[in-house]
Amino acid sequence: MSKPKPLVEFVDVNKWFGQNHVLKDVSFSVDEREVVVIIGPSGSGKSTLLRCTNRLEEVQKGEIHLDGIPITDEDVNINHLRQRIGMVFQSFNLFPHLTALENVAAGPTKVKGVDETEAYEHAQELLNRVGLGDQGDSHPNELSGGQQQRVAIARALAMEPQVMLFDEVTSALDPELVGEVLDVMGDLANEGMTMLVVTHEMGFAQEVGDRIVLMSEGEVAEVTESDQFFEQPRTERGERFLSRLL
Amino acid sequence: MSDALSEREEPTGASSGLLANDNLVRRIGEVVAGLFLAVVLGVLGWTVFSEVDPDLLQTIFPRFVTAYLLVIRIVIVSSILSVSAGIIVGLARISSSPLTSNVARGYIEFFRGTPLLFQLFLIYFGIPSLWGTGQFPISDWEIPAAVIGLTLNHAAYVGEAMRGGINAVPDGQMEAARSIGMSRVQAMREVILPQAWRNALAAIGNDQIILVKDTSLLTLISVPEIMQVFRSVNSATFDPWTPLVWVCLFYLAVTLPMSKLVGVLEARADWGSDRKSLAKRLGSRMPGGGTS
Repeated sequence: MSKPKPLVEFVDVNKWFGQNHVLKDVSFSVDEREVVVIIGPSGSGKSTLLRCTNRLEEVQKGEIHLDGIPITDEDVNINHLRQRIGMVFQSFNLFPHLTALENVAAGPTKVKGVDETEAYEHAQELLNRVGLGDQGDSHPNELSGGQQQRVAIARALAMEPQVMLFDEVTSALDPELVGEVLDVMGDLANEGMTMLVVTHEMGFAQEVGDRIVLMSEGEVAEVTESDQFFEQPRTERGERFLSRLL
Repeated sequence: MSDALSEREEPTGASSGLLANDNLVRRIGEVVAGLFLAVVLGVLGWTVFSEVDPDLLQTIFPRFVTAYLLVIRIVIVSSILSVSAGIIVGLARISSSPLTSNVARGYIEFFRGTPLLFQLFLIYFGIPSLWGTGQFPISDWEIPAAVIGLTLNHAAYVGEAMRGGINAVPDGQMEAARSIGMSRVQAMREVILPQAWRNALAAIGNDQIILVKDTSLLTLISVPEIMQVFRSVNSATFDPWTPLVWVCLFYLAVTLPMSKLVGVLEARADWGSDRKSLAKRLGSRMPGGGTS
């Protein structure tokens, strides 16, 4: 078997907000079918890095590649590239004026120009897959936070992305609703989806994550296999981070 | 249940005194409202009975109908044009291009900052005079001038309402739309504008009702509208009350259907049953009136 190839590559990524240097020479890569979990204290640049990965934020120095294509290059068609990168947000951001089914079908019909019947059938399959097959006609404000987040995952999957980005997707949920969202993400990982996950859920990071990226003050402190990380982190910063969790 | 309720209605602190009793406050309100209604109905009834001439009322009715139909036509055209133009002004106002947004801003400041009557005079008297006496090619210029004036003026207000409506849509909506590959324009059309429209609808409806009442100014540029009929009847008969009855009723005959229409549009834009179910939940917790 050939070595898995890197699907997403971060090469010396630097970003400033004004004077504030929020990402410092970030370099690592995510292989195909791999789940990489980014952890670290608040303000360490985790979410910013994720948002740079589909250019919701611009990188000032360094490059990010998707499947060999430089995402950060000004000349790329970012609308086209974003279709290959699914993103799920902390605050769901479902479209409130559309039903759950319409939310999921919006991308394929409006962006990809997929035939309506086909798109809606596929959207229904995706809702079934996240356990919301019977909620297609509901508007977001009729759904619980956990349900909304699962619809948001289905919406991102509808574009058939190569990689999924999860930005603290359980942080805004009531504790009893966290499990249903993590379950869907776990299933997705088992099916071989490439995932880049920012989370505070250490149980998820340990169980589902293949590798852990620990960020601290805008830098990558360490990149370690997840089993090893939770057993014995390589760096002192890793040890300190874990000890604060206990 | 009634026990629990009566407990809850106990005054909570000595500081609020008389007004701490919810039921008493309610009764005082009803007495004031009732007195107000009695005075209004009394004065109105007495005046209409003593001042209004039933024969004249009948004679002038057709003239008001004609004026009313003209006002309706002017309102429909100006409404459609001002809302459409207003949406464009609102979009221009939030443009990332400084040129576009500043032009839109200047437009809004001018048309909001000067009186509508001045704008109407500018269009009705000012523009034809540029052609020299008797040279202006459009006859009956007062109607187009009226529509242009009302449209330009109210597009400014609709533009501001749309800007507010767009700004009230959370940033996450644009990000979510972009993240599934929509262009900025697509995201605007499919995601932001439908929500902005709902946010702005109440303000736009309010403005359009003002537009109806603004047609009363058109009497000053010779449009044969409702106020024009009043002035003509009043100067011939020296009877203000009889034509004023029609003036009042015919304006309401435009504005009441209009606010009904705004209500229907608002209900239609109220996606999901959240508000309805909230009302239901609150309703079930509030036993009818103060009868318990």
